[in-house]
Amino acid sequence: MSETIEGLRSELRSWLVDNAPSDWRLADTHEGFVAGQRGWFARLVEAGYAVPHWPQQWPGGGRSLAEQKVIYEELARADAPRLLLTFVSTYHAFATLSECGSAEQQERYLPRILEGETWCQGFSEPGAGSDLAAIRTRAVLDGDHYVINGQKIWSTMAQYADRCLLLVRTDSSGPKQAGLSYLLMDMKAPGVTTRPIRQIQGDEEFAEIFLDDVRIPVSERVGEEGEGWKVAQATLASERGLTLMELSYRMRGAMWRLADLIHANGRNDDPGVLRDFGRLSARVDSVCAIADAYLQKRIEGTESIGDAALVKLGYSRCLRAWADFGVRIGGVSEQYRAPITFGDLNTGNWMADFMNSYAWTIAGGSDEVQRNIISERMLGMPREPKHWTQEASQ
Amino acid sequence: MSLSRDELIAAAEQAFDSQSLAPDATQSWQTISEMGWLAMCVPEDRGGLGQGSEARAVIHHALGRALVPGPAIAQMMVIDALTGGSRSDEADTILEMAMAGERMTASLALNIGDVLSAVPDADMSSHLLHITDERVALVPMASCEAEQRETWDETRRLFDVRIGGEQRLVLAEGDEARTLSETIRGNMLLALAADSLGGAEAALAISIEYLGTRHQFERPLAMFQALKHRCADMRVAISLADALLWQEATSASLSLTRAGALKAQASRVYKEVAEEAIQLHGGIGLTLEHPCHLFLKRAFLNCALGGDADYWEERAGRECLASA
Ligand SMILES: Cc1cc2nc3c(=O)[nH]c(=O)nc-3n(C[C@H](O)[C@H](O)[C@H](O)COP(=O)(O)OP(=O)(O)OC[C@H]3O[C@@H](n4cnc5c(N)ncnc54)[C@H](O)[C@@H]3O)c2cc1C
Repeated sequence: MSETIEGLRSELRSWLVDNAPSDWRLADTHEGFVAGQRGWFARLVEAGYAVPHWPQQWPGGGRSLAEQKVIYEELARADAPRLLLTFVSTYHAFATLSECGSAEQQERYLPRILEGETWCQGFSEPGAGSDLAAIRTRAVLDGDHYVINGQKIWSTMAQYADRCLLLVRTDSSGPKQAGLSYLLMDMKAPGVTTRPIRQIQGDEEFAEIFLDDVRIPVSERVGEEGEGWKVAQATLASERGLTLMELSYRMRGAMWRLADLIHANGRNDDPGVLRDFGRLSARVDSVCAIADAYLQKRIEGTESIGDAALVKLGYSRCLRAWADFGVRIGGVSEQYRAPITFGDLNTGNWMADFMNSYAWTIAGGSDEVQRNIISERMLGMPREPKHWTQEASQ
Repeated sequence: MSLSRDELIAAAEQAFDSQSLAPDATQSWQTISEMGWLAMCVPEDRGGLGQGSEARAVIHHALGRALVPGPAIAQMMVIDALTGGSRSDEADTILEMAMAGERMTASLALNIGDVLSAVPDADMSSHLLHITDERVALVPMASCEAEQRETWDETRRLFDVRIGGEQRLVLAEGDEARTLSETIRGNMLLALAADSLGGAEAALAISIEYLGTRHQFERPLAMFQALKHRCADMRVAISLADALLWQEATSASLSLTRAGALKAQASRVYKEVAEEAIQLHGGIGLTLEHPCHLFLKRAFLNCALGGDADYWEERAGRECLASA
């Protein structure tokens, strides 16, 4: 077992020597960065390293957890870029379609993901962020199509996506969760307009999506009408489990970047720096350990409510601390602008990493929302009565 | 035969339930010996139960959670020295006595030299572990002078001990002594980490329970989000350190520095949770009749024992820098 693991490690290491892109940090246009992402994904698919978390029947799938960890660690060690463009397709879309999609939907869409078709997630709206169930984008049935009107926001790389996981309202009469439905939308359909939004690091990483009488066939609905909330949970769960393992092991695999930085800045004998580095390293280890234990629980079916929130919050805060440490040691040079990063967390500029780390404290359920989940649903602390909320919003 | 973590935890919870905090010292020591905990990590061919570090972590987690008094950590250091050192009839006899509950002790302060500090229950102990750069040995307490120090932590009785006389049982010398003392100290740090996380767990539990029952402004305090979020953050910090504890306790080889970094993290979490516990209880938390202060004092002592966070984290940083 450990022999095959070490075999995989050395095989991947030598593959990376020949194949890992080295110039990806220099992209100075969005198109250049996206093209680099597409090429890198295709190469990983071909070599069988793109989707180690997929099941066995897929090329490159069926890897054990131990193998997946090695892959993520080695990719980070080789300084290879993360797969940002295909993040939503290989995690969110894959998990949602495998768990809730019809056989026909699975056959149609899953193979295309490996061919490079990309997806975006159209959940959030201007009026529905943390309170996701408040979404107002309407879908009205017209024969065998839904007609969609509304607006989505913060959709990562929607401007480059082929398809969208779209959460819409089909009913406004009952409780807000009960009136939602889940659709698969072609981003090139008439009536879909995207408008990129610039983030604080200067990149156009996410976008608004305007939906103006967009027609989506009923056959593109995942689950029944009114089951959108349930299907959305499958999407969100994928975001909190496997992705966090990849990200924590990548963080550990990239510890050498901080070590290099400490040496380069002549801080390698500074006890204060060494202490904080030692503490950070144990913290990163504990994040990897909890991500590990969490996935083990999921495999055994012993996951309980709040477990995922512990991992997400543990990771997000550690990531911020890790980037902050880099900013501190790097000094003024971190304050010079970096090229396009699209939210990568190993951009080569710690200030950019620091800004990008907000993705993990805000998106996918903010830190505060995770704290609500832990305190109310895991620790059993009482929620505020509903009537207060109503009074407050009057 | 290896016991599962769940079996071990269930047994430990029966022995020391978390509702009876800081139980009687004599009674507790008897329970610890009767449960076979002192023999838990001794190899089977030396008369023990042959369990590994995971069992050790479960035991100290349970002792920490219930604030159990007594010299269990020091006793296990002596036992580790006897099982890891060179074997002799005398060593076998002393080991048997130690497993049966005859108290033996050691410094929890990483002292080197002839004056040891932070030695638990020295007045009741028959032997003292003496570690120097060159040698690991056992010294009869009768040949030493012990002076009790009044600790803030009422759950521990610590002594300064001056070693006298020439009589000693040498267990290891030279390189072997250095390897053995690393093992002994690694295990001590793991034990302190487990004790800390057990204590943190209990301190968080009583705080949450209190916030749920105490009403102010016509609602339970637990309804205030400002307080809920602090509890959630403590839950995360404990769970992260827990994950690291169990990972290290089940790893094939635990390095001294990793054990030190773990202990630094675990005792810091304990200190932070214990600090918050008093704040969240308000005035009642600041009284001697309430158990909050017991956690606070034990947490601070755990931070100081076995080398502090500054020491271990610097060392971990150097190692990480060299290997990254
Ligand atoms: C980098 C990035 C990428 C994203 N990508 C996507 C994507 O691809 N698709 C998509 O659909 N969405 C995406 N999002 C949107 C994301 O899901 C939302 O930003 C998130 O749910 C928070 O909503 P909001 O921004 O409206 O903030 P708000 O909900 O308005 O929150 C503002 C502040 O109030 C706090 N808050 C809110 N509710 C509570 C509460 N009950 N208790 C305590 N505090 C509270 C929040 O934690 C936050 O600090 C992305 C966001 C980011 C930052």
